[in-house]
Amino acid sequence: MFFSNKLKALFPVMGRVATLLVVLLTSCLPVWAKGAAGPPPVSSLENPLALTLIIMIAVLAIVVVLLAWVVNGAADVFITKYKKERAGVGSAAMLLVLLSLLGSPAMAQDAAEAGAAVSTTIGGLDKTTFYFLTGVLFLEVIAILYLLYNLQLLIRAEKAKSAEAIAAAAKAPKENWWTKLNKFRPVEQEADIDLGHDYDGIRELDNKLPPWWLYGFYLCILFAAVYLWRFHVSHTGPSSKEEFQIAMAKADKEKEEFLKKSASNVDENTVVMLDASGIAAGQATYITNCAACHGKLGEGTVGPNLTDDYWLHGGKINDIFKTIKYGVPEKGMRAWQEDLSPVKIAQVASFIKSIHGTNPPNPKEKQGEPYTEEAAPAAKPAADSAATAPGDSAMVTKAAQ
Amino acid sequence: MQIEKFSYDNKVVKWFAFATIFWGIIGMTAGLWAAIALYYPQLNLNYAPTTFGRMRPVHTNAVIFAFVGNGIFMGVYYSLQRLCKARMFSDLMSKIHFWGWQSIIAAAAITLWAGYTSGKEYAELEWPLDIAITLVWVIFGINMFGTILKRRESHIYVAIWFYIATWVTVAMLHIVNSFELPISMWKSYSWYAGVQDALVQWWYGHNAVAFFLTTPYLGLMYYFLPKAANRPVYSYRLSIIHFWALIFIYIWAGPHHLLYTALPDWAQSLGVVFSVMLIAPSWGGMLNGLFTLRGAWDKVREEPVLKFLVVAVTCYGMSTFEGPMLSLKSVNAIAHFSDWIIAHVHVGALGWNGFLTFGVLYWLIPRMWNTQLYSKKLAGTHFWIGTIGIVLYAIPLYWAGFTQSMMWKQFTEEGQLKFQFLETVTHIIPMYVSRSIGGTLYLTGAFIMLYNLVKTMKSGSFVANEEVEAAPLPTEIKTHGKEHWHRWIEKRPMQMLLFSFIAVAIGGILEFVPTFLVKSNVPTISSVKPYTPLELHGRDIYVREGCYTCHSQMIRPFRDEVARYGEYSKAGEFVYDHPFQWGSKRTGPDLAREGGKYPDSWHYNHMLDPQSMSPGSIMPSYGWLFEDKIDTTLTPKMIRAMQTLGVPYEEGYAEKANKDLNNQANGIRINLKMEKIEVGKHDEIVALIAYLQRLGKDIKSAQTAEK
Repeated sequence: MFFSNKLKALFPVMGRVATLLVVLLTSCLPVWAKGAAGPPPVSSLENPLALTLIIMIAVLAIVVVLLAWVVNGAADVFITKYKKERAGVGSAAMLLVLLSLLGSPAMAQDAAEAGAAVSTTIGGLDKTTFYFLTGVLFLEVIAILYLLYNLQLLIRAEKAKSAEAIAAAAKAPKENWWTKLNKFRPVEQEADIDLGHDYDGIRELDNKLPPWWLYGFYLCILFAAVYLWRFHVSHTGPSSKEEFQIAMAKADKEKEEFLKKSASNVDENTVVMLDASGIAAGQATYITNCAACHGKLGEGTVGPNLTDDYWLHGGKINDIFKTIKYGVPEKGMRAWQEDLSPVKIAQVASFIKSIHGTNPPNPKEKQGEPYTEEAAPAAKPAADSAATAPGDSAMVTKAAQ
Repeated sequence: MQIEKFSYDNKVVKWFAFATIFWGIIGMTAGLWAAIALYYPQLNLNYAPTTFGRMRPVHTNAVIFAFVGNGIFMGVYYSLQRLCKARMFSDLMSKIHFWGWQSIIAAAAITLWAGYTSGKEYAELEWPLDIAITLVWVIFGINMFGTILKRRESHIYVAIWFYIATWVTVAMLHIVNSFELPISMWKSYSWYAGVQDALVQWWYGHNAVAFFLTTPYLGLMYYFLPKAANRPVYSYRLSIIHFWALIFIYIWAGPHHLLYTALPDWAQSLGVVFSVMLIAPSWGGMLNGLFTLRGAWDKVREEPVLKFLVVAVTCYGMSTFEGPMLSLKSVNAIAHFSDWIIAHVHVGALGWNGFLTFGVLYWLIPRMWNTQLYSKKLAGTHFWIGTIGIVLYAIPLYWAGFTQSMMWKQFTEEGQLKFQFLETVTHIIPMYVSRSIGGTLYLTGAFIMLYNLVKTMKSGSFVANEEVEAAPLPTEIKTHGKEHWHRWIEKRPMQMLLFSFIAVAIGGILEFVPTFLVKSNVPTISSVKPYTPLELHGRDIYVREGCYTCHSQMIRPFRDEVARYGEYSKAGEFVYDHPFQWGSKRTGPDLAREGGKYPDSWHYNHMLDPQSMSPGSIMPSYGWLFEDKIDTTLTPKMIRAMQTLGVPYEEGYAEKANKDLNNQANGIRINLKMEKIEVGKHDEIVALIAYLQRLGKDIKSAQTAEK
């Protein structure tokens, strides 16, 4: 018979799906273990992407389990017929578990190596973890599709069965977890719990509170007590302000470490005129951030003209760098140090120096003191910048990333 | 026992039903307008009333108090009579209630468009309308209690418990939050300032959701859902526990709108834990509704009314689960100020309130017209269009909110903010477009309903007075055997009123008293000084134009916010803010420390043509500020009002204030003149620039002095 043949093939498969699930869940462990041992501890768990993925994995895992349960339940009718085959499944499952036990340490090692070798990240997660998590997700989706396919086959098989078989099969899901979870009484027995109230024809039943609801309520109250105790009695949880200080300290440390390593640690004392590529990058930054007030060509609108000989706060590249970085709040020039990196500020300053004397149309009237380039010192940085040009362009590409 | 003959008043129900549909369509259209304005700012037509800052309060007020409000009254007037087996207490009062409420709504729309606003979200209406609302609400209360008292039913049903709690709590919220000091017919200042004002306002705002959008609708659900499904209510016990727990806990949760703000930490924590505890009581209502449908799910497939009710109750469950999650500080840190919250409230408003109202309308109208619904198929179409509308509305906004918030928080490795504020705005504009499509679908659905209901009414004949008969209430109610303890109070509506009042009063009192009386909750900062007269005028303009609908004035203690906006906000900075203007949404950047960030001419150009200073900005232009003048004759009144509210201007300053005003205005005028911009010293733009340049400066200058 066609169906029985299909089903024969089905049970081992279902057993395998269940084993696969066990393998998947155990193989998640290396990820966590790695997170704890690796250089940034817990960081992968703090990452919102990782959390989302793990939650999705957990949700899908629940779906897989439920589906497997449903498929199993619906297949209950046929199980007795095929007990012999199930014995076979057991050994197959054992084999798979063994295989997976052998496999997962190897996988973990691979992951650790890959993690060390590849520094690129996806959404703040290292590539291996990301692909691993999405891989697990993918496998779960496959498992769900597979189970759904099986379920469909079973439903078809049931439809073909006689009426009694349908009744028997239908009875199984009725005694399901949902009924138990809510302590449902069968609708037929509701006359027993009718309270006899009648409001414009509306009756009321005396059903019990759904146990999960009630315990959920208790749990929330417990949460409230623990929360208040933690944050306001024992003070083991940080207050808003403490959270802020922790975050700032962490950020400062990271910033410092990064700047130590990188070549981009420029400030108003060390800044020099950059080469053409630096100026071009500066122009791009200028157009997006500065042009609204200083004009696209530096002719000045709300802010002063940047192309003439007159400067309010000094025309040396160091002065320009300083003005951009800290701003001149009393004159309406805002500070940019939180928005633009030192490299970008150096680029913008270089661009501004480069447009000197271009005489754009509609210039704003001159403001401030005249400034002329001191010939000797000015030449020197220029030479310096030419000499360090390769380094600069490396910096620029870095900033562009 | 003599059987009495009497009739139910359907006429008032009919009028409220018409008003519900009418204002629903108006309110949703205003919402759609505001939604489109977010990506097409020219939609303001360079005309103040059609600008987002005024359209948004019109939308929220119309939808909450006109659409849902009339929906409540429609449902209450229908169900209360039948649950009490009595006609409404007074037909005259019903009439006054109806016309009073409609005139308040019409006046509200006109005044909000005209810019008369108190500047407190969902309580924007000015003091004469606040008084009118109180009076109409009292009339509604007398009419309702009159009916309950002359009932022919010994016990009051759970729906009525909810109506009673609604009535008493809304009265309390409205009166406490509307304390304000009028200075003219259409202008007043909130009695409270800064942190206290924020606490009172969000106690009100949160519980307007609870007791205007939730409890009365739960009452309606308890009547219309069992009626439509013809099934008994699942669990009487669940009704009792979820009712009392809900009203008691809800009132405490207001501070979850103020997490990470300058509100004291203890109050924030109360907001968190009470929100979490609220999950179960809220879900109690959902479960009781959905489980009532056990054994009737086959009907749900056929009956559009039930479809609407099921989705409504499900949306209620979703948003009341999401709400507590959003109250967790770590989630709130991402979601607050972003479009996530807009998505969240619309799942509630479109799903729960909207769909329940539609379901009730589809059920009521055929019955009152003694006919069948004109087309079940059209109702089904409405259902699907509406559902797709909700999905298309909510999902893009969840996405937009999450994405934008994440972009705000990103830093480069060098430690600079990765994105300018504007970049995060232009990034989510496609999502704004999609949400307005969702809104359009939803509104289309409402029009389909209108057509279907008009056709239904035409096919039947309206029964204005439904004749019924019932036995009068026996003087002594006999009990048979053991009764549930709660039956005691169900026979005593006045005790029910009193106990509900006690339940809802506790939370508010325990949160307010310490915040108002304990000084350490709002530490004073000596450098914080009262606003100058010109800044006060500017602030009035800021409030009038609804700037707070898009700009917050509250820098939270996060690394990104401090980097972007400056030092985080302190409680002591807001002590002279009547009303507070912290806002709840950042469509534009925070303005708490806007003062001194840009020159006066930048603000001038930016208000005239925002895109010239911020290319790609979605802020509308405010052309009228350059033509209209401030009314300096109001200045002494404003100063005196502030003095009454405790702002320490020197004695007799009211008379001298205009001199200072002119001096400051001249200063700004000269500043602008140097940039070749000519303004009149009393132009509104000058006052607004003065105010914007003041924001957050007190504490800044103090720091510079310390250095």
